[in-house]
Amino acid sequence: MIQVSNLSKRYVGRTAVDGISFEVGQGEIVGFLGPNGAGKTTTIRILTGYMPATSGTASVAGFDVFRDSMEARRRIGYMPENVPLYDDMRVKEYLRFRAQLKGMRGRAARKAVGEAMDLCGLTEMRGKMIGALSKGYRQRVGLADALVHKPDLLVLDEPTNGLDPNQIRRVRELIKQLGLTHTILVSTHILSEVEMTCDRVIILDRGKICASGTPADLVGRLRTARTVTVELRAGAAVAADKLKALPGVKKVVKEGERDGWTLFTLRAESGRDVREAVASLAAEGGWALRELHAQGATLEDVFVDVTQSGRTG
Amino acid sequence: MSGLIVTLLLATIAALALREFFKGGTGPVLFVKELRAFFLSPVAWVVLTLVMLLNGFSFTAALTDLQGGERAVTLAVYTFNSNQFWLAYFFIFPVITMRLFAEEQKLGTIETLLTAPVSTVQVLLSKYLAALAFYVVLWLPSMLNFLVFRLSSPDSAAAIGSLKGSYAIILLVGVFNIAIGCLASALTKNQLVAAMACFTFCLLHFLVGYVMESVPIQEQFRPFVAYFSTLAHVRTSIDGLVDTRQIVYYTSFAVLLLTATFHTLEFRKWKV
Repeated sequence: MIQVSNLSKRYVGRTAVDGISFEVGQGEIVGFLGPNGAGKTTTIRILTGYMPATSGTASVAGFDVFRDSMEARRRIGYMPENVPLYDDMRVKEYLRFRAQLKGMRGRAARKAVGEAMDLCGLTEMRGKMIGALSKGYRQRVGLADALVHKPDLLVLDEPTNGLDPNQIRRVRELIKQLGLTHTILVSTHILSEVEMTCDRVIILDRGKICASGTPADLVGRLRTARTVTVELRAGAAVAADKLKALPGVKKVVKEGERDGWTLFTLRAESGRDVREAVASLAAEGGWALRELHAQGATLEDVFVDVTQSGRTG
Repeated sequence: MSGLIVTLLLATIAALALREFFKGGTGPVLFVKELRAFFLSPVAWVVLTLVMLLNGFSFTAALTDLQGGERAVTLAVYTFNSNQFWLAYFFIFPVITMRLFAEEQKLGTIETLLTAPVSTVQVLLSKYLAALAFYVVLWLPSMLNFLVFRLSSPDSAAAIGSLKGSYAIILLVGVFNIAIGCLASALTKNQLVAAMACFTFCLLHFLVGYVMESVPIQEQFRPFVAYFSTLAHVRTSIDGLVDTRQIVYYTSFAVLLLTATFHTLEFRKWKV
């Protein structure tokens, strides 16, 4: 559905997108993840034909987004960041206008608007002025606009930005539901969102793709425990020294001491599971051990890992 | 000969632009939305009222004066070569054009608008034509004055030529000044800045003709300067003389300004 190859966008003195290539297949929900300023919005703006790339190509449904811009745009439903809307129009009126802009007329437009409002739960708000809507409803109007012409591809830029937790949940459910019938590219910097809704994740940082795969896949790469919590009954200083001496342990932090029990957190080297070594150490020393567990990696760890590597501070 | 070429060229540009505008029926959809936006905003009604009032004042003032005896000038000349007319001339354009693009850029809706399957020409022309249509509506009540006058005194020798000339030049300066407003509005996201820029450009253009008439310049440049003078244009037109040079002057400038506006909107697409 989307094909991007070697796409770059340079602003004066700054490279926003630096030679990225990726593909999105029909029916996928792909999360576009990255810290603020990573180039997500720029990539999306190129895909939606709002601005051209400096070099490289991108196509949507087989149409080049720059040369066949009109054809490509007809197939995209786009919801920009912060959902810009005309405050002085009514919900139904606005959606009607948008449907007509996207080439629908008369009865077909009316029907499409009705369906979009149903899908996004806007039916009872149809007569309201957009300016009087809450943020959550504005978001829904933006979504309804994006999908009113039944596009092949939905591009949503930070769809849950600025919503309260309930609204976020509702928007996510909506996205999941839409994913059954549409290909979706959703950008966000909220990790849990991607984990919950997306089939695949592309992590972007400083204009480059630094990781891509299914959320489970990415987490799997860091599956081996990196942080291990141990609680022992032993002399704190001795135990700390011995733990530190274990192969693969980078750092030992004493978290607390109570009734003779000492709690440590160990940082292990990447890709090493030190739990077994810790257990045998306790057995050798004759220390009682009442807690030993590894914190499993989350997508957040992956994110931090790939976007922080090579970056100081 | 050269006049013919220029006219043909302008007609071709207009025809091509209109063809693009109507392509896929999207232009009219945008146009209707823009025109509605005018009538749904309070500003439009304020302007409408003010222009009506000003026209009413100058019309009644003209009637009162003409009742005093024979005059060498017509009713239209009294009405449109008045201070009230020039007052309206300067505030109309900034007020009706400032919103066009500045608001879209402020709200960010320009992004949803231009990522819909709509061409920039369609967006530009729909806004321009909507503003022009509203401008025409602004002057309709003043026509009513003359109509009522004619109906109530059928034996008066109302100068139809003078009236036609007046409305022709009003339309022409509208075509030109609204294009200025479009450019000013496309250049900024602040409506106030757009209005001030439009006002300044309109005033500057007006002053070129106005000041130069009274500045001591060499006699051979005088006709050249008069060519820019809106004041002179309005005066000749009100006398019932429709000069094709003025038509070419205002429409070609409008085309130039709209082209500049087009490129301002397309600026983000420039490769850097």
